[in-house]
Amino acid sequence: MSDISILLVDDETDFVETMTKRFRIRKIDVASASNGPDALNLLEGREFDVAILDVRMPGMDGLELLRRIRAKHPLTEVIMLTGHASLETGMQGMSLGAFDYVLKPADFDDLLDKVRRAAERRALNVRTRHAGG
Amino acid sequence: MSARVTPAADPGRAARELFSRATGARVWRENRLALWLHFLAPPTLAALAAAAAFANPPLAALLAVLVLALSAASARWLMTRLSRAEEAKDSLTDQLIQSQKMAAVGELSAGIAHEINNPIAIIAQEAEWAGHLLAKAEKSDTPDFTELRDSLREIRAQVDRCGGITHKLLDFARRREPVLQDVDVTRLIDDMARLVDKEASYKDVALVRDLPQDLPLLRTDAPLLRQVVLNLMTNALHAVDKGGHITVTTKVDDAHMDIRVADDGCGIPEENMAKLFTPFFTTKAPGQGTGLGLALCHNLVLGMGGVILVSSRPGQGSVFTVRLPRVPGTGAVR
Ligand SMILES: Nc1ncnc2c1ncn2[C@@H]1O[C@H](COP(=O)(O)OP(=O)(O)OP(=O)(O)O)[C@@H](O)[C@H]1O
Ligand SMILES: [Mg+2]
Repeated sequence: MSDISILLVDDETDFVETMTKRFRIRKIDVASASNGPDALNLLEGREFDVAILDVRMPGMDGLELLRRIRAKHPLTEVIMLTGHASLETGMQGMSLGAFDYVLKPADFDDLLDKVRRAAERRALNVRTRHAGG
Repeated sequence: MSARVTPAADPGRAARELFSRATGARVWRENRLALWLHFLAPPTLAALAAAAAFANPPLAALLAVLVLALSAASARWLMTRLSRAEEAKDSLTDQLIQSQKMAAVGELSAGIAHEINNPIAIIAQEAEWAGHLLAKAEKSDTPDFTELRDSLREIRAQVDRCGGITHKLLDFARRREPVLQDVDVTRLIDDMARLVDKEASYKDVALVRDLPQDLPLLRTDAPLLRQVVLNLMTNALHAVDKGGHITVTTKVDDAHMDIRVADDGCGIPEENMAKLFTPFFTTKAPGQGTGLGLALCHNLVLGMGGVILVSSRPGQGSVFTVRLPRVPGTGAVR
């Protein structure tokens, strides 16, 4: 089960680097961006199974990016990362169609498990889409 | 002139239908045999009893008692049948009206939200631009300018609020096909509770998770369930006073899994119970609630084949229970 592709979007470069390394050790394909517009550009070029977005980023924030990804790439599942737990952003994120939330500092195994489940969901969606014509 | 309320299509037929219902002709048509039996048996026996009275008085008395008992039983049977039919019809009509209402509200809201979204976006952009121009203006520290800036800030805040409402409406009206996965409900609840913890601690509210570690996995739609759980916990948090308690528990039997969110907050007055799940029903101040949270939860849970149960004591607290089937598609939970 290592043919999962992830897009990691966070302006905290240290975090992105460590996570990228750890995902790659598990043979998971990771691309990264440090802001919303770059992430959208990457998504134009290829498909990702799962996008992991930090809620707080300068410029386009994580929720806005989530909104655009759900609109333009509805099959890509999104996991939100948040440094400070907030009910308001939590509610917004879930109702915008996020798959799940992960609190920072993220426990890697927890994140990995959620990524797998999100990818499974995407696979199910792709399948029903094909079955439905 | 009075307006016509009845639909114009074939008024004759509608009238006949109404007439046959009013006179009971339809019931007659559908239960002919049973009704004949009920109408004929007691009088026949009564006639027999009268005849027997001449020949054998004790036998006649016995027959009379039998007739009485039979007529009573028959009348009772008819009454119960009738009232049961009436109740069934009423509840069906209620359900039908309710679901039609929901669908209509959903469609209408989505339409309006869609139309309003663009102007809202333009107002936001213009306000942004005006703010930018103001910042560049000379002598921008006069009282008038300060006032202008405040005014612009307020416009932006209110536009954001409108945006929030249209977004909620669109979300409410969106149709979703649940995607089923094996879900660790304990963990799901704990994850969502963590999002609420901070706000809860501001209010000095204890958000207690009383969750078993060995809960079986549940086949359901995880993100939808997250939304439901988050909404119920948010409502509970709004309902409790400083120092209140919210307890989330789960229970499982062969057929269902229950997720229960209990609080010791303000409770729900009896007269509001029936309106809780109606779109736009809220007791919160304008800007504090749209009244779409529970309506959305209701739709989501229904889509997952479950129900939401509510019990509450005004002044003491409320319990919201989400009951989901353990095997999806085994028929809606009653
Ligand atoms: N746990 C609770 N205790 C007491 N009252 C409640 C509780 N949950 C819901 N209610 C009542 O039901 C109403 C409707 O709830 P609902 O979640 O649909 O809307 P809201 O919370 O008012 O607004 P929104 O969820 O859209 O922000 C609330 O305004 C409140 O009066
Ligand atoms: Mg609510």
